[in-house]
Amino acid sequence: MVKRKLKSQPTEATNSKSKKQKKDIILEPVIKSDAPVERQTKWTNKQRSLIFSSRGISYRTRHLMLDLRTLMPHSKAEPKMDRKDTLFVINEVCEMKNCNKCLYFEGKKKQDVYLWASNIPKGPSAKFLVENIHTMSELKLTGNCLRGSRPLLSFDKNFDSEPHWQLLKELFIQIFGTPNHHPKSQPFTDHIFTFSIEDNRIWFRNYQILEEDGSLAEIGPRFVLNPIRVFAGSFGGATLYQNPHYISPND
Amino acid sequence: MVDTVMRSSLDSDSDEEIQEALAAGTIKPGLVVEEQKKTFINNREGIKEKIKEFSLVNLKWIERLDLSNKPAPETNQITAEDENEQSQNDDFNREMRFYRQAQASVLLGLTKLAELSVPTKRPEDYFAEMAKSDDHMKKVRSKLLEKKMSLERSEKAKKLRELRKYGKKVQQEVLQQRQKEKKEMLDSVKKFRKGQVDKIDILDETIERQPKQKQAQQMKNGQFKPNKKREFKNKKFGFGGQKKRSKYNTAESAADVSEFRAKNAHGKGTGGNFKGKKQGKPKNQRPGKSRRKTMKNKGRK
Repeated sequence: MVKRKLKSQPTEATNSKSKKQKKDIILEPVIKSDAPVERQTKWTNKQRSLIFSSRGISYRTRHLMLDLRTLMPHSKAEPKMDRKDTLFVINEVCEMKNCNKCLYFEGKKKQDVYLWASNIPKGPSAKFLVENIHTMSELKLTGNCLRGSRPLLSFDKNFDSEPHWQLLKELFIQIFGTPNHHPKSQPFTDHIFTFSIEDNRIWFRNYQILEEDGSLAEIGPRFVLNPIRVFAGSFGGATLYQNPHYISPND
Repeated sequence: MVDTVMRSSLDSDSDEEIQEALAAGTIKPGLVVEEQKKTFINNREGIKEKIKEFSLVNLKWIERLDLSNKPAPETNQITAEDENEQSQNDDFNREMRFYRQAQASVLLGLTKLAELSVPTKRPEDYFAEMAKSDDHMKKVRSKLLEKKMSLERSEKAKKLRELRKYGKKVQQEVLQQRQKEKKEMLDSVKKFRKGQVDKIDILDETIERQPKQKQAQQMKNGQFKPNKKREFKNKKFGFGGQKKRSKYNTAESAADVSEFRAKNAHGKGTGGNFKGKKQGKPKNQRPGKSRRKTMKNKGRK
């Protein structure tokens, strides 16, 4: 038997350097069973976000969570977590699901909603107070988009002013941005997430791109994040930043 | 009342120093409580290091699709001035700012994607699952339609109300006009009948007085003459009656017997009772001679 010369596996380095787009892999007529399978390696940015919540959240928060899961095809779901477990357990949960990002909604006193956004193995993580939630199913929000299409992410210029805003910007890009060539993603770019800083809070909006000239319709959801703290580790660790303008809803 | 004051400068509680401070006015009288200065952690260096640590370096822009820009410039100059004043509480302006930020990003982002030859526009025949279900979009559309219809209806009602007001005004004007015309017509007919006017226009017809023959001749002759009765009365009573000279007897008037009527002479005639012809015997008439004789003889026997 003639030994087939194995084709060299295309590495990530060559992938990123090659200017031409990789052609589709054509299977050979006869394949040896122990020859390693060539995989399509277009999807390189492997981000997976785990979106879940604690017990005791209101219907609005639950719908917000579901909306985010719809909009982000690279997200995974998880049943509600008991609050008696410490937050550090979340890291293990994410590892089990093979996720490297996490959005965790925490509801306290059936009124206040806190959002944890974290990069899983080593951090950083941030805790926010969520305000002014409007879900996608509100009839005044008239836009629509493909399920799983990659959004454009638009940030305010203020995000470049302070280091903590820069950190949050980077975190949001990695969490909210759908990876390129994700298997569940759709090819056309028809919506845009905007993050703006106003009154020391982050305002989130999602618009549908109606025309190429810039006419937009709002899809939803809408929420406002009031940053509380930024930690160096994931769900713990040293505090890197504490928001001086934050007033707890308990006061 | 408890006064909270930062006493970072005064560390000791010695009485003299407190008295001095009180005199100087740095502390007010009352219980003074030292407040802890709250420090908020902002570990910039740590943050920057962390960013470097976890950010994905080899990612090209196409993987991230992030854009950072200010809102697009406004077309309205007026609103741009008020931006700073009402920025916090003005929902509409805030939303407009977000919208414009998104617009600017869209314009930038789409050009970038076009450069990288990534398709951005969805073709017409590409059907795929959407984020919102078709039922939901139906509901949204029906709500929009409802809003539009109610707006149109209210506009119509407003217009109708305006029209009715205007119509009422017009109606009143027309009625008044008609009354005026009627009055004018009647006046002109009255005048015509009285003889002041000779020619009137009624209902698009022109009526002219047909002048009689006598009148025509008199018009030719010149003046009009009043009738005989009028002439007599004018003579007798004209110019205030001419009382002074009406009873003067002249030789002529004394000799004038044209007005002598034998019937009416000597108190006979009608006898004061004029009822057409003489009716029976008047009351105070003296019987004749023979009659008187017979009466006398009857009574005497």
